[in-house]
Amino acid sequence: MTLTSRSLSSVVLEIILVLLCGVLALIAPGFFTADNILNVLRNISMQGLIALGMTMVIISGEIDLSVGSMVAFAGCFAAFLTGHLGGPDGPLGIVPAVSLSICATLILASLVGGLTALLRTRYGVPSFITTLALLTGLTGAAELITNGFPLTPFPEWYNFIGGGYVIGIPFPALIFLSAFLIVQILMTSTSFGRAVYAVGGNAEAARLSGIDVDRVKLIVLMTTAMMAAASGIMQSSEIMSGTATTAKGWELDIIAAVIIGGTSLSGGVGRVWGTMVGMIFLGVIMNGMTLLNISEYWQHVVRGALILSAVLINRLQQPSPVHG
Amino acid sequence: MSSSLRAMHTGSHTLEISGIRKEYPGTIALRDVSMTLAGGKVHVLLGKNGAGKSTLVKILAGAVLPTAGRILLDGSTVDLRSPRDSLHQGIAAVHQELSLVPELTVAENILLGRFPLHRKRPRIFIDWNRTFQEAGEVLMQLGARVDVRQRAATLGVAQQQIVEIAKAMSYNPSVLILDEPTSALAHRETEALFGLLRGLASRGVVLVYITHRLEEIHRIADTVTVFRDGEIAGSFPVDAATPGMIARHMFGGTVQRRRPPGLQVSRDPVMELRGFSRSPVFENISFTLYAGEILGIAGVLGSGRTELLRSIFGADPHDAGNLLLKDTSVVPRSPRQMKRLGVALAPEKRKEEGLVQILSTGTNVCLASLRKVSRRGFVTRAREDDVARGYVRDLDIVTPGLDSPVSSLSGGNQQKVVIAKWLNTDPCVILFDEPTRGVDVEAKQHLFEVVWDLSKRGISAIVVSSELEELFDVCHRILVMKKGRITDEILPHESTVEHLLSVCMQ
Repeated sequence: MTLTSRSLSSVVLEIILVLLCGVLALIAPGFFTADNILNVLRNISMQGLIALGMTMVIISGEIDLSVGSMVAFAGCFAAFLTGHLGGPDGPLGIVPAVSLSICATLILASLVGGLTALLRTRYGVPSFITTLALLTGLTGAAELITNGFPLTPFPEWYNFIGGGYVIGIPFPALIFLSAFLIVQILMTSTSFGRAVYAVGGNAEAARLSGIDVDRVKLIVLMTTAMMAAASGIMQSSEIMSGTATTAKGWELDIIAAVIIGGTSLSGGVGRVWGTMVGMIFLGVIMNGMTLLNISEYWQHVVRGALILSAVLINRLQQPSPVHG
Repeated sequence: MSSSLRAMHTGSHTLEISGIRKEYPGTIALRDVSMTLAGGKVHVLLGKNGAGKSTLVKILAGAVLPTAGRILLDGSTVDLRSPRDSLHQGIAAVHQELSLVPELTVAENILLGRFPLHRKRPRIFIDWNRTFQEAGEVLMQLGARVDVRQRAATLGVAQQQIVEIAKAMSYNPSVLILDEPTSALAHRETEALFGLLRGLASRGVVLVYITHRLEEIHRIADTVTVFRDGEIAGSFPVDAATPGMIARHMFGGTVQRRRPPGLQVSRDPVMELRGFSRSPVFENISFTLYAGEILGIAGVLGSGRTELLRSIFGADPHDAGNLLLKDTSVVPRSPRQMKRLGVALAPEKRKEEGLVQILSTGTNVCLASLRKVSRRGFVTRAREDDVARGYVRDLDIVTPGLDSPVSSLSGGNQQKVVIAKWLNTDPCVILFDEPTRGVDVEAKQHLFEVVWDLSKRGISAIVVSSELEELFDVCHRILVMKKGRITDEILPHESTVEHLLSVCMQ
């Protein structure tokens, strides 16, 4: 493969995305307006934040299926704590109660991520299994906490976290973009990033190079669980309640975006920027179809086709495996 | 596919190999080899790693296509394009690595893919009675006592080996190839296997037997054929096969660079092992390694040499004994810890354990020294490439580019990347496990020069290798390891390769 064709094929997704936006700008009413673009950005921000963590998890050779449930659980847990700490009978004022609840939720989430890592590294339980169990377990826990009804203990200003704007940009989008910058730099320019790629590419070679494989997996799984919880807090802020049924199936959208972005499920290969593009891609397509009044059922079909074709394009770009 | 076994053939077979040539990009593995192998006899093939005998076995087993040449079985040309072709033409091979499906029964393993089907019911149901009966018959003909209903996972290695042979025999082959079948067997089991092979030979089967154990030859072989550099160096009846004769043919007049004479070993101990054990893999290993010394460990596969290196490096546990690094007692717990103390390991499985194949050459060079390469945790491509470029120049690494995945490098160059990776950690001891496996002659010389250079700089090396003459030329001192114990110490300047070979193979 010549250098030009290689660099061309590495931006093939970006090119398709630009073309797609061009087409939508022409045919979809109201697509190319500032409001709509900000709307797309807001829509992808909460899933996108988790997708950044998921990219690290998948590059390190693991997976986290529990992120959707974690979003619901985190929102419910934060609401539950706020209600008890800052309610009429609570010991705290509403401001410290909300702050404390958010901190406690983030810490609890990272401990759950740590549990997944511990089971993986100490007892060899695949993260696929642990997080599959957490997927139902956390949903159940959220339902237990809320007893099936939305909890609404939040004060008015809480809505800022998920629904507010800073200089005209949705606050969740700011969080997402800052997190993107941090994770992008982490994965491309730090020794920790190198270690993540090495662990996912060949865990034994990494271990024999003196890299602390267990620690790398612990960090990425904890971070991702915490990002899911942060996303859950933003979500609960947007809808101003802790609801157990929220974010159902998010894990699949998120994994889809990561894969569309070129990250390999077998680990060791992937780009944070690719996940960003994959996330925007999904957001734009969904938004375009909504604007064009295409039914939601078709949107699901198209999304499925998209995942498959993105992976196929990726496979076709790679040279066939060498046998020797 | 035939659902029942063919009757066992009783006539004597002949296998003729005519002008077989195999070229790989850059190397020629076999150079127009011709030989005739008569049935009823055991033909032993000998040769160093890479001499061409395993390529020949792969061609006969249908796993690899020859570049040129013909194979004739009982006078007619056979076309071997896949392992299935070979089996159906009557050539069966038992490979060194056992390949039974552990959760299936012995009978299922023997008849895998060829289960007899029910005659009455719709022909999709397996006839289990006949399955067990037919598998039992094959084992009985081999005189082996293995329960056909037992799961393969519950068998010992020797019994597994017998099931492998039974599986091969169930195809009723005219030619049976065994690649180092005794490397995992105890003495008594080896005896049983030999009895079995004698029985097969008496039925006219052509038996091809590959081994590295010299002492087996006189117990099993009828003829001995020695391979060297892709050619047959000599073929003679077993009576003529003295150790000296075999060594001469195996090593021939290969010109090898010798260790430069100026290479001195200091008397400062760098590493000392006292009663280092990991039962039952290796036991009571004691030796002292001096600064700048190149210490060889000779031993066959399964002697515990790889495991010893891994335990010293903290990659595997050990259960007794002491390790001293520069007079300080150390308990190796993890590669991370041993790396910090200045120990490095270039593992045997270079591709699987030494490098992350999908990452770039530059990243791989820096993999063990991320802390040193990074500045406050930050590391850039440019910085990695700077470091890597230095080693590419010093070690003469041929790479299409620092950005390209390390998998695109040749075996020898990958080995140099492994060495570069460890040199960047400033080690005082490098453990080399089979450093020249899969490396061509010229690249081997480069590797040796690298090891000698390290020695000059006071960096010690422990080199494990099955290539005895290499150890002989490279090392200051050679320990012989057998069944987990050190049995001999040989000083190359006071000895000969032939002596080392006979010590190792007895």
